[in-house]
Amino acid sequence: MRLREPANRVSPRAIAHWAIEYLLFWGLGFGLAWGVAAWLGHRPRDGVPRWVTAHVGWLPVVVGIVGVLSVTVAPVWRYRVHRWEVSADVVYTRTGWFTRDWLLVPVSRIQNVHTEQGWLERLLGLARLRVHTASHTGSSEVSGLPVAVANRLAEDLAHRAHDLSDDAT
Amino acid sequence: MTAPHDAPAPRPPAEAGEAPPPRPARDAPVRRLHPLTFVVGAAREMTALVGAGATGLLVGGLSTAFYFALIGLAFGLAWHVGTWATFTYHVHEDRFQTRRSLVGRTVKSVPRERIRGVDISSTLGHRLLGLAIVHVDAGADGGEIVLNAVAQREAERLRKVLLARARVAEAPLQVKRRRELAHIRPRWFLYAPLSGAYLLTPFALAGSLLGTLYNLGDDLGLITRDRVESLGRDAAGLPTGVVVLIMMLFLGAMPVASVIAFTLFNWDFTVYERDGSIVAERGLVTRRSVALERRRVRGVELSDNPFERVAGVVRLGALVTGLGDAAHRGRLLPAAPRSVAVALASRVLGPVPAPLIPHPRAARGRRLVRATAPPLGAAVVCAFAGHLATTTAALFAALMAVPLGLDRYRQLGHADDGVRLTVRSGSLRRRQYVVEHDAIVGWRVRRTLFQRRAGLATLHAAVGAGEGGCAAVDMSESDALAMAWTITPDWIAPFLAPPRPDKTREHPS
Repeated sequence: MRLREPANRVSPRAIAHWAIEYLLFWGLGFGLAWGVAAWLGHRPRDGVPRWVTAHVGWLPVVVGIVGVLSVTVAPVWRYRVHRWEVSADVVYTRTGWFTRDWLLVPVSRIQNVHTEQGWLERLLGLARLRVHTASHTGSSEVSGLPVAVANRLAEDLAHRAHDLSDDAT
Repeated sequence: MTAPHDAPAPRPPAEAGEAPPPRPARDAPVRRLHPLTFVVGAAREMTALVGAGATGLLVGGLSTAFYFALIGLAFGLAWHVGTWATFTYHVHEDRFQTRRSLVGRTVKSVPRERIRGVDISSTLGHRLLGLAIVHVDAGADGGEIVLNAVAQREAERLRKVLLARARVAEAPLQVKRRRELAHIRPRWFLYAPLSGAYLLTPFALAGSLLGTLYNLGDDLGLITRDRVESLGRDAAGLPTGVVVLIMMLFLGAMPVASVIAFTLFNWDFTVYERDGSIVAERGLVTRRSVALERRRVRGVELSDNPFERVAGVVRLGALVTGLGDAAHRGRLLPAAPRSVAVALASRVLGPVPAPLIPHPRAARGRRLVRATAPPLGAAVVCAFAGHLATTTAALFAALMAVPLGLDRYRQLGHADDGVRLTVRSGSLRRRQYVVEHDAIVGWRVRRTLFQRRAGLATLHAAVGAGEGGCAAVDMSESDALAMAWTITPDWIAPFLAPPRPDKTREHPS
């Protein structure tokens, strides 16, 4: 018994979105690591063990390699994993990259639906859809949807959930 | 109710004098808190102020500080009387409303159908005066309304009225069916040292006592640098024998103190059923009584640690939709023999599905790796840094993690009886959840890269109660889906992939 993949992909612009997000994050991390390494240098300092000052030069290198890998590999990987589908009465999503989540939320148990846009998402014309149930574990989020699609989905789901729901717990 | 009615506890009069808001004909009158409320409220401040005033008197004679303390006391009393006079509550037909209008005006109202629990507690002061505090719980984010001090009879009446709205039509309120479900036995108090939390209470008590002493001494100018230093020198100069003796005494006191703490919190722990609610009462000094609406109890949680497992002891909690602070308020039994806890669980919710089905072999490797990887990683880092002692310690920890990992695998299990689902995981804190099928609001299947390699999946059943769901860790992928499919076929069936022709055994049933 296996789950098939959900029918729809997210927008390809999501790759750019994730890549820029990772780039900002790891860029900041690299800057910090480089700063720490430059500050500690190779000179022994009070209160810092000698083996730390001796090897601290590796820190920015490690952070840089992990960062480059994240920026180049993770967005494409995520794009290939991220899929969604709304059937007659279930919202089915697959998200993640290293850890994957398959999430099945029946429309009758939805408590509220909304869309969100950060500044980057506004630039790229993307939006994320959040579907809340009474449980955090059962609440799904699809990022990287085109704005129009996200808004239409949110409206549609909210409407149907309202018709079906009693107490939704 | 075990609390004595030491003081006369007259019904709060529905006083005239303030204009009652327009209300429908069948509504109850506007009520105030009990007149003695301000006594309880002011008592705490009074002790503090009297203490400060007395100290001021001792230190500086009839100084300005003393008069300030007196003025503060007078203001405090006036404020409490004012608060009492301007605070009213009102049970409307459709909502419960409180109104506070001392300086600003605050009106809180909660629709009565949203009220999920009414929790009655009382501190020592309240009990001496025959009063009780009523917490009205209204959903997870609706906040709660606290009535600080009403008469105990009024508290009981409010609870009945507020929780009865669903049954008003069918049964008259006078019918009082109280059926006891469980009651604590004196022997259970000896289980206290088995749980870590109670064992640590003496440290917490000693810490807070020392902190208070230090602050008090510091405020009075008794603590100077010299004194602290000489105390440190004295402590360092103590003979080893005395230090060892003190530590032994402290260690010996821990189990005793844990039993005392346990007794304070869980004295006369009683669980009974009344008017469609499950009520749990406990406590010696501060008596707590939590009413859980029965139809909102969607599951139970049985938890224990290795020591408790050896002794056959388990703690029972209820999973209730929309209950804040569920860890404390959902408590149904403190450490109690397993058979009693399971019996209570089956009376509250229904029989616990058994026996549990163990998880596949591949899960064992994964538990082992996850238990040993962190200490092994630490060992590698330490070896890289050339620290022999820490490397050895980390390697030893990794070795110790092996039995832990094996036990974590042994504890994994799930079962389903067509009405309820149960899953179990964890070792140092093992938890078994029992959840009604109807309570499940969604499914989450989670697989890391390693789980995908091993053909495993963790199935989370999302539930709008407790911590938001329960997880069957490391089931085989097809078992996980088969379980979700048998419970809610409509949600899963449209998304199943056609079975691979070469692997016939993957098909369920």
